Amino acid sequence: MSVNTRTRSTLAGRHPALTAPPLKPFGARKARNREALAGILFVLPTLVIFGLFKFLPIFGAGAMSLTEYSLNGDFEFLGADNYVRLAEDPNFWQSLKVTFLYVAIFVPFIIAVSLAGAVLLDKLVRFTGTFRALLFIPYLSSFVMAGIIWTWIFSTDGPLNAALGGLGMGPVPFTSGPQLLVLLSLAVVSVWKGFGYSMLIFLAGLKAQPAEVHEAARIDGAGAWKSFWYVTLPLLKPVVFFVLVIETIVGFQVFDTIYVMTGGGPARASHSLIYFLFDEGFKFFDFGYASAIGVVLFVIVLILSLIQQRFFEGKDSK
Amino acid sequence: MTATVSPPTVGRLPNPRRSTEKRRQRTLTWVLAVISLFTVAPLIAVAVLALSPEDAPTLPYALPSSLTLDNIIRIFNVGEFPLWLWNSFLYSAVSVVVVLLTASMAAYALARKRFPGRNALLWAIIATMMVPVQATLIPTFILISKMGGVNTLWGLILPTLANAQAIFLIRQFVRDMPEELFDAARIDGAGEWRTFWQIVLPLIRPVLATLAIFVFLWHWNDLLWPLVVGQSDAARTLTVGLATLNTETASTSNVMAATLVSFIPCLVIFALLQKHIVASITHSGVKG
Repeated sequence: MSVNTRTRSTLAGRHPALTAPPLKPFGARKARNREALAGILFVLPTLVIFGLFKFLPIFGAGAMSLTEYSLNGDFEFLGADNYVRLAEDPNFWQSLKVTFLYVAIFVPFIIAVSLAGAVLLDKLVRFTGTFRALLFIPYLSSFVMAGIIWTWIFSTDGPLNAALGGLGMGPVPFTSGPQLLVLLSLAVVSVWKGFGYSMLIFLAGLKAQPAEVHEAARIDGAGAWKSFWYVTLPLLKPVVFFVLVIETIVGFQVFDTIYVMTGGGPARASHSLIYFLFDEGFKFFDFGYASAIGVVLFVIVLILSLIQQRFFEGKDSK
Repeated sequence: MTATVSPPTVGRLPNPRRSTEKRRQRTLTWVLAVISLFTVAPLIAVAVLALSPEDAPTLPYALPSSLTLDNIIRIFNVGEFPLWLWNSFLYSAVSVVVVLLTASMAAYALARKRFPGRNALLWAIIATMMVPVQATLIPTFILISKMGGVNTLWGLILPTLANAQAIFLIRQFVRDMPEELFDAARIDGAGEWRTFWQIVLPLIRPVLATLAIFVFLWHWNDLLWPLVVGQSDAARTLTVGLATLNTETASTSNVMAATLVSFIPCLVIFALLQKHIVASITHSGVKG
């Protein structure tokens, strides 16, 4: 009996025409109720967890950004005051500038490195697995660990400055010098730690390219470089775009390496948006203001996600 | 390198195209070897520094004359390092188990059961993926502090159990299972829970394994949330401890020994499950 009603209700669900005269209204409804109850019970733990720790904080962030919220739970409604304050806060603009500069350095850097790694691995015939593993290993480390290693590498008496000293060059202040140098050093750390992931995505994209196209290019007399530039890269464009968006979002969220390596310094030269949020929230306990910074971050990431979605939907509907 | 060049056989000229290809492969291998040096050398440096005797001259100016486990033994005996390690382990392990279980249950219901509000819930869960965790850091902290969870392990773990990506990925797997499978289970009289436990779970094992790796790595390496919620040693994780060690005046050998220990679980996971990790990134684009 249950089989029949079950098939019935499944069909009814899929084809609206069949719902009009239900053959076994009582049995079908009973089965449907049981199914709904089971569904709700299975989803209940997730509903509770998400309700408390995702949905509530998301609305909370928006609401708190409109208040002055103090540590003991007292709050005062301010309207858009926090946003006005943000617009007038030079530290906010500084952190935006730092973040955009960092993204502008980090994203092309990591794309170039991971693409180069993928192209080389793709062409290699033997030991592919070994080299893939060796290039990927840093991805397993934490940003904290990467920051600690590279703090040592960049330090005045570290290996890099020892090598430069051997060449007769003075110690380079990699993490305490001019802003662009500091941001470049931070980008080096994140690229070292993170490029293995994008490299594997690029590698999969390269492996999916039809061999005939490359063969045709070779017969037409295209060298390795031309073949890459005019055949491989255009075919890889969707993958490049995917990685570009992902890494841009990663770039906007930079925090860990800064916390470990520079503390936002020198003189706010690496005081990123998240670092600004962290400072306002947990150094000055200005929770309402910090929430407003979080909302700004959300808007930036949302715009990037929407661009990505628009792009991929455009691809699919073709 | 390893490619042995065989002498041309008498009476047959070497194929010019094959020998250029051979040369190209050799250059390629060398270039990749140099790049690998850049990726791996910093990790080797950590190991060398961690295993160097504390007072002996070491990198970058000299190689240590002998290696010792003293630094590692010391960090286990001094300070709160073992506690941090334990906290990190609990933060990662408990999260993996709970996330996989609750996400599988939800994914099964969202893919296979019809109940009121299902589509709205699915949409809402997927939408949370667009909100960066940092944007909700403050309200989550306020919520946990109101619940009395600051500086506790449960306060550390609870908010990170909401994992939309896990639900999303598992749901795709469950959705693609044939309906006949569930009909058969029903005919055999299997209840809802048994169907889930004995049919769905075994079939989604591959995606669960992948997710287990990434959820573990993500928690093990996480900094911002543990930094905010676990300021005292009771709930301080390894990453937070390492970051504070690094800013304080701990000796390089201590910091490097702690760093090395923190990396070993990740390395073991990678060594055991390398193929799985590579396949999952290239197929589904899981972001760790």
